[in-house]
Amino acid sequence: MMAGGAMPGRTIPQPVEAVPETAPPIVELANVSKTFGQGRQEVSALEHIRLAIGRGEFVTVVGPSGCGKSTLFNILAGLTEADPGASIRYGGQPRAAKELLGKVAFMPQRDLLLPWRRVVDNAILPLQVEGMSRAEALKRAAPMFPEFGLAGFEKHYPHQLSGGMRQRVALMRTFLFERDLTLLDEPFGALDALTRSLMQRWLLEVWQRHQRTILFITHDVDEAIFLGDRVVVMTARPGRIKLVLDVKLPRPRDAEIVTSPEFIQIKRQVLAAIEEESLKSFQQATGG
Amino acid sequence: MSNKTAALGADIAIGVAGPLLVLVLWEALVRGLAVPTYVLPAPSAIAAQVVTDLPLLLGGLGVTLGEAAAGYAIGAAIALALACLFVLAPVLERILLPVLVALNSVPVVAFAPVALLWFGMGPASKIAMVTLAVGFAVFVNAHHGLRAVDESAANLLRSFGAGPLRQMVLLRVPAALPSIMNGLRVAVVRSMIIAIVAEMIGAYKGLGWTIFEATQQVDFLRVWAAIAVASAASMAVYGVVNWLDRRLVFWR
Ligand SMILES: Nc1ncnc2c1ncn2[C@@H]1O[C@H](COP(=O)(O)OP(=O)(O)O)[C@@H](O)[C@H]1O
Ligand SMILES: [Mg+2]
Repeated sequence: MMAGGAMPGRTIPQPVEAVPETAPPIVELANVSKTFGQGRQEVSALEHIRLAIGRGEFVTVVGPSGCGKSTLFNILAGLTEADPGASIRYGGQPRAAKELLGKVAFMPQRDLLLPWRRVVDNAILPLQVEGMSRAEALKRAAPMFPEFGLAGFEKHYPHQLSGGMRQRVALMRTFLFERDLTLLDEPFGALDALTRSLMQRWLLEVWQRHQRTILFITHDVDEAIFLGDRVVVMTARPGRIKLVLDVKLPRPRDAEIVTSPEFIQIKRQVLAAIEEESLKSFQQATGG
Repeated sequence: MSNKTAALGADIAIGVAGPLLVLVLWEALVRGLAVPTYVLPAPSAIAAQVVTDLPLLLGGLGVTLGEAAAGYAIGAAIALALACLFVLAPVLERILLPVLVALNSVPVVAFAPVALLWFGMGPASKIAMVTLAVGFAVFVNAHHGLRAVDESAANLLRSFGAGPLRQMVLLRVPAALPSIMNGLRVAVVRSMIIAIVAEMIGAYKGLGWTIFEATQQVDFLRVWAAIAVASAASMAVYGVVNWLDRRLVFWR
């Protein structure tokens, strides 16, 4: 599915504008809340989340750990129901969370590679779940190995790979599961800084080539700005959306962009929002 | 690499040296103290008896192994099917699990009279008892392994749209394989023991019956020879299952 005019600035560097306005959103959340437990153990993980994501967008969600980012993803992947009163529209249709099972490509925080499956067989797992034969799935996957930096490692087992390679296998598995929305939960969280920065640029290339819609979780402000068309800043628990910022940095983005005045300007706004929030919760905690 | 081989060599050396040392001490003790044969024969005497009685012992071993293998196969198959079924249909589990736990709390040998009554003195009663013993050992391990699957991995499969059956085939069974293999390994020795004990209680053939008969005839050397053959066979089968385990659960 080509997004065509709805995706400006993918190859020619120019600001990304009005993506959510011109194309109908793939997913639209309103009043999404989630409470765990009951009575005194009640934990409010998400409160009144409102968010729309347009086709082809790369939206990043940044927030302190424990603020409900993974919970939001679990709802979008269909694994957790939101509290009653939530509205989730997917492809224009109102949906209960569980109706999203099998409709969203979801990469959880841990790579969850199956140790008894070779790299290839881990990558094609979602295709086999869909009922595709192994032979056909392998044919589909074969051209992707070089692109994901895994050429020559098809027959390896997960325990033989480095952390960065394991993440790429998990990403490849997610990309082979072609869905309108792709959710990536802190995919680079466990990697060292250098590998991480390489993987970020590589992910942008892959995203542009495959033309996917990505919602990407991170707790790293730089990563959120570097990758995203928009950055969604969440508050500490209960997770609310504090701020949504358009990132009008040209694409393709290279590593130096993080030192550009525009980047620093955006970073300042994000950090100020986070600062204000932590100050608030600090004052609440100290009763001041 | 060479380090590994050396370590393996050392392991084997220790594995062989231990039993060998015991045999030598045993032989020396029996000879030195002139222990009478009916109390404890020397290993050399037992070995000689094994050679003389070889046709008889091998015949008995064949019968016992056959019963143990048949009971093992039936018991393991039923146990695996039941464990999968319980995980797929928790209602069944809630109804049947207490029954199984109650049955399992009685030693299998206690069922011997009933087995003889129902299935007669032939191999059928031995197979039934082995089935019961193996079934419990495999079921407990398989059930535990199938349920202990990482929930995030199950959720990942669910997010791909996998239903309970696909999750079972693609995730639960392979993830439970170490646990299942453990049950299968424990069950090997158990199947041999139960088959032999069942034969001692009442049979026409088999190693257990040979032991029983020789005891009646006060032929203690033959008793020991039969025991030696039985334990050698048990160890050999156990070795095969161990090897299979390492091949199948290579990622552990
Ligand atoms: N299944 C659950 N039961 C109870 N509390 C949960 C559950 N899942 C998450 N939480 C709580 O919800 C909050 C948000 O968790 P999570 O979404 O994992 O945060 P993040 O991904 O932003 O680090 C945390 O306080 C966590 O303890
Ligand atoms: Mg998380």
